[in-house]
Amino acid sequence: MKINKEIRRLSREMLRASFTDGQLDPGRISSLVDSLIAKKPRNYIDVLKNYRRLLRLELEKRQAKIETANEVDSATSSELISNLKKKYGSDLTAEFIVNPELLGGMRIRVGSDVWDGTVRNRLERLQQEL
Amino acid sequence: MSSILEEIETKIEGLKTSTTKSNVGVVRETGDGVARIEGLSDVMLNEMIEFPNGVFGLALNLEETEVGAILMGDNTLVEEGDEAKTTGRLLSVPVGKALLGRVVNTLGQPLDDKGPIKTEAFYPLEKIAPGVIKRRSVNQPVQTGIMAIDAMIPIGRGQRELIIGDRATGKTTIAIDAIISQARLNKAAEDAKDTNYRPLYCIYVAVGQKNSNVARVLDVLEKEGAMPYTTIISAPASDTATNQYLAPFAGAAMGEWFMDNKMDALIIYDDLSKHAVAYRQVCLVLKRPSGREAYPGDVFYLHSRLLERSARMSDEFGGGSVTALPIIETQAGDVSAYIPTNVISITDGQIYLETDLFYQGVRPAISVGLSVSRVGSAAQIKAIKQVAGKVKLDLAQFRELAAFAQFGSDLDAATRARLDRGQRIVELFKQKLYNPIPVEEQVAVIWAMQNGYLDPVPVERVKEYQLKLQDWLQTRKEGLLRAIREKKELDKDIESQLKAALDEFKTSWR
Repeated sequence: MKINKEIRRLSREMLRASFTDGQLDPGRISSLVDSLIAKKPRNYIDVLKNYRRLLRLELEKRQAKIETANEVDSATSSELISNLKKKYGSDLTAEFIVNPELLGGMRIRVGSDVWDGTVRNRLERLQQEL
Repeated sequence: MSSILEEIETKIEGLKTSTTKSNVGVVRETGDGVARIEGLSDVMLNEMIEFPNGVFGLALNLEETEVGAILMGDNTLVEEGDEAKTTGRLLSVPVGKALLGRVVNTLGQPLDDKGPIKTEAFYPLEKIAPGVIKRRSVNQPVQTGIMAIDAMIPIGRGQRELIIGDRATGKTTIAIDAIISQARLNKAAEDAKDTNYRPLYCIYVAVGQKNSNVARVLDVLEKEGAMPYTTIISAPASDTATNQYLAPFAGAAMGEWFMDNKMDALIIYDDLSKHAVAYRQVCLVLKRPSGREAYPGDVFYLHSRLLERSARMSDEFGGGSVTALPIIETQAGDVSAYIPTNVISITDGQIYLETDLFYQGVRPAISVGLSVSRVGSAAQIKAIKQVAGKVKLDLAQFRELAAFAQFGSDLDAATRARLDRGQRIVELFKQKLYNPIPVEEQVAVIWAMQNGYLDPVPVERVKEYQLKLQDWLQTRKEGLLRAIREKKELDKDIESQLKAALDEFKTSWR
């Protein structure tokens, strides 16, 4: 998608206006989208697409993807989530995924940051080292 | 055996406790050797990025939500949705003496069938050039063995001298002659166990050349015995634009190792026009804004930061040097095009080769009027300075008079003498390819010309006279040549010996 300066500027402004007290506000987001559709400025569909992309990236920053080889018990998961919230803010959401290919351990991804303590990762590193 | 087991054990121990933290992104778009990656929030400029299947990339564009990276290796292995990881490392190449005699690619991997290259050190491709405190002015010559260059456009160690000219005017040949000359000097010093001589190691960087050309250069260097002192970095036309763009920087990194270790290196960038074209391609697919002739805005900086890395270090910093001979190919002799003017302004002088001269049989086809060396004369040995001081002026006067003399045959004696002298100098400076002349022979020949020994020789036989004289001096007057080589200047004693020798030769010459 070719994005011109105007589209980028407008969608960035919309993203900036989507926050209330540093947290994404669904009500403001929907009202922003509605007003944009009502006004129909030039390239408004591309603006909306880019706004959606920026929102997705913003949401990814606030979502933790926790991959484990086996199911995690509730006590561990709640401890994990509270620890992550301490680091990344209270609006963090968590998603648990079971992936037997990891063999053991845990892999947490929040935005671009990844903590990898899986057996698979260790084996891969060992393979590289040797 | 037990030590290996222990080693593995310690490595496993080291891995046990560690949970690795990394910064990742997702490939959103890939093609033309470029990938656009979403994420990678901690990536640094020029940092290496690791893709699956062992492919690496280099982060060149850091944008608000995306990173543009150029891919090295097989870029068909990278797909949309792949996870890319930062490595925290800069792109580096192996450096050291183990690379001498080898043909390698941009990443320093061997392309010849001589097995793996065992080096201990790695240098980053991009490095800030040494500052003013670390440098000193050039004071040692690079003897190219080409008489016209050594006499009139001298090159010093640490200098950047551009070789510029149209296609097929002998640009690469000059560079190869210089390499062969260094190899001969290095070998002679090794054989004589001369510890005072600083060997000059050569690095030939082929950018965007035909593979057949690189093979031919390799063949010549092997035949002339120059490969033991030379590394060839090949990024041919069939290589990716990324590799072509990075190859000169790899060469500079390899040269810097010699400089940092108190040695001297000579790098030939063949050629920077194709390098600029490869960089233009990389930048256009990265969607960077384009400027004049569609080159990106920082194409000047690309070449200036590369050539600025050539330096002569001061004695406190080891006294090593990197000399650069960049080559630029012009189109129909147009030196005022974008890339040629850029590189002319960066370098410390240029050797300009003319097509017309080439077809007139003046080879190397060096245009004396347009060629200059801004700093090299400080590095010339005294003997050459003594004999060659007036040559450039004589030639300039000859060219002026030659144009004038076309219109009339009535010339006064002084003009006639000047024309005769000029014609003889032009003949003397013609030289066969891959045949560098040692500096002491150059001194003897130019001295003979300056002192009128060539005046009775017909112009068409000047070359024959010169070759015979060189032969005769090598076989009969070895002591005299050695004296010139060692004293590096013409004192009264040597001059009288030279006079006697030339008088003796005159009697035998027919």
